Amino acid sequence: MKKIGILLLLSALLFANEAEDIVRKVDHNMRGKTIYMQLNMTVKTKYHQRSMEMKTWSEGKHKSFVKIIKPSRDYGITFLSLNGQMWQYVPTIERIIKIPPSMMLQNWMGSDITNDDMVKQSSIVDDYSAKLLGKKGSVATIELTPKPNAAVVWGKIVSQIDTRHYTGIKDVYYDENGVKVRMFTYSQVKRFGSYYLPTVWQVKPFNKPGHLTTLHVKEASYDKPIDPAYFSKSALKRFSR
Amino acid sequence: MFKLALKNIFYYKGRSVTTFVLTLIAAYFFIVYVSFMNGSHANMLKNALEVYTGSMQVYQKEYRTQGGYDYLIADNSQVLPLFQKTKGLKAYSSRLETYGIASSKAYSSAIMLTGVDFDKEQKLSELKKALVKGVYDSSGNCLYMGKGVAEKLHVGLGDKVSFVGSAVDYSFVAELFNICGLFKTGMYDFDNQSAFMNRHYFDSVFLSENMSTYIVAMVDEMKENDEIAAQIASALPSDLKVYTWKKLMKSMVELTQMDSFFGYISMVLFFLVIFFVIMIYGFINVSARIKELGILRAIGVSNGSVSRLLLYEILILTVAALALAVPLGAYTAYYFQIHPIVIPGLSDMYKEYGVVSDQVPTQFDPVTILWNTLLVFSLNLLSIVYPILYTRSFTPVEAIRHV
Repeated sequence: MKKIGILLLLSALLFANEAEDIVRKVDHNMRGKTIYMQLNMTVKTKYHQRSMEMKTWSEGKHKSFVKIIKPSRDYGITFLSLNGQMWQYVPTIERIIKIPPSMMLQNWMGSDITNDDMVKQSSIVDDYSAKLLGKKGSVATIELTPKPNAAVVWGKIVSQIDTRHYTGIKDVYYDENGVKVRMFTYSQVKRFGSYYLPTVWQVKPFNKPGHLTTLHVKEASYDKPIDPAYFSKSALKRFSR
Repeated sequence: MFKLALKNIFYYKGRSVTTFVLTLIAAYFFIVYVSFMNGSHANMLKNALEVYTGSMQVYQKEYRTQGGYDYLIADNSQVLPLFQKTKGLKAYSSRLETYGIASSKAYSSAIMLTGVDFDKEQKLSELKKALVKGVYDSSGNCLYMGKGVAEKLHVGLGDKVSFVGSAVDYSFVAELFNICGLFKTGMYDFDNQSAFMNRHYFDSVFLSENMSTYIVAMVDEMKENDEIAAQIASALPSDLKVYTWKKLMKSMVELTQMDSFFGYISMVLFFLVIFFVIMIYGFINVSARIKELGILRAIGVSNGSVSRLLLYEILILTVAALALAVPLGAYTAYYFQIHPIVIPGLSDMYKEYGVVSDQVPTQFDPVTILWNTLLVFSLNLLSIVYPILYTRSFTPVEAIRHV
């Protein structure tokens, strides 16, 4: 009986470790040491559809810089995420705006991605505990629940991950009451050096019928040095042009 | 019996004067109190409706519960002709509201920015009358800003403020606007959170041409509002809904109802005191006259006639008091409707309840005065019931021997 108990405990620890390992590998694939991407984002709402293009530079978990390049009306809007904080520069009004914590759940550029998504992606690894719910072939289903005292906004995230290349298939986000809020789906995995990255990401909010945000990764390059100047507040204005 | 009642009134002066004066004061006070209560409530609603809300608004069904650009009226041209055809409307217009952050160099504030047709708004709302500085019907990238917002941002006429929000396609909007006019309606929240812009320029920035958050209308006669609203509702596309001011201002309507309720409760307490005083005086008077009433019964006057005598007495006193109190009360109500009392600082004290002026008008309403009068009249008649029953409990012999 004692042996069975120890065996169960060990297997639970093993599953937890395996789940966390999978999540870490997916995160590594999405991020590398550094990553530069050029993305196209299409936002579909009830009455409209529009597209925009952007370039992003990020280093590690806490530094990223985004520049909007299309449409021309939005050209030069830049965002800086640094250690969990976020700033935006808007050339038309020549102002740097600090995004306050109260606006972190607001939509980013009118899409279905939130400001919090832009800043806290790293927290998936750091702020959530991963638990393997099951494995079917190469697809692992993992439940991520917030660690005690973690400052996160989701009650739970259930992820489906393809363990062949450690890329996400689907993430379903739940609020603290266990209600489904939105779903990310990932497809068209491409290889970039030693990394695998889904090049089409779709975000569908469950509470907004007719809304869909699709991100296409047009270009990506990993582990190339990024000028540290990108990750300072002065970059917002400087690289806006 | 009527003549005898008249004689008794002059004979029992103490009771007569007390009953007369109390009835006079109660009736006068009641008419004036109700007219002030109704007048201030009507004034609050009138201010709120005429300043901006209008008497009805048409929304897409889910807008007021869900909010957001997904629930805008997507095609104004389909709806506005219906308003044009409807009779009894003073004015109507479409408005598009958006929310965002307005910033000066050092200060920021969340505001509601509304695209309006300034010409139509002149007939529809009191936005133009609220102008305190600059111009009302500005064009281009001009803001007509609430004085409270300007104070929060520490800006004035001619200054620039940035606005960050989103267009109706949810795209990002960041623009610099000039402050061309400042307004103050007196409605605290409104003046502290609102800014307006001409619809043409607003549409070019927020991509909202031919769309609206709602269509607002004001009727010629408020009493016809529900009927006209029903008429419009029946002709609207099924995804649109009419809200009359009663729904739009639900909290204010409830507040005034609650206030009226407590007002009437205080009046009931007041009347209970008056009623019992009149009744007690009547009872004391009747008790002292038991012997006299017994003699009347003994010489052949029926029980009914004695009761009628007492009834005539109170009737004459009540009618005499009301004949003086009603014209006086009605005149007071009428006078203060035309010349409202001004209490300096009142609007500041009650601004959160929509009180926008220091004036406290009465409401002169003959129907209200009539029911106020009838109530006092009925209570006075009721006050004699117990004394009558008391006298009827004696036989003529018992009454004559009564000490």
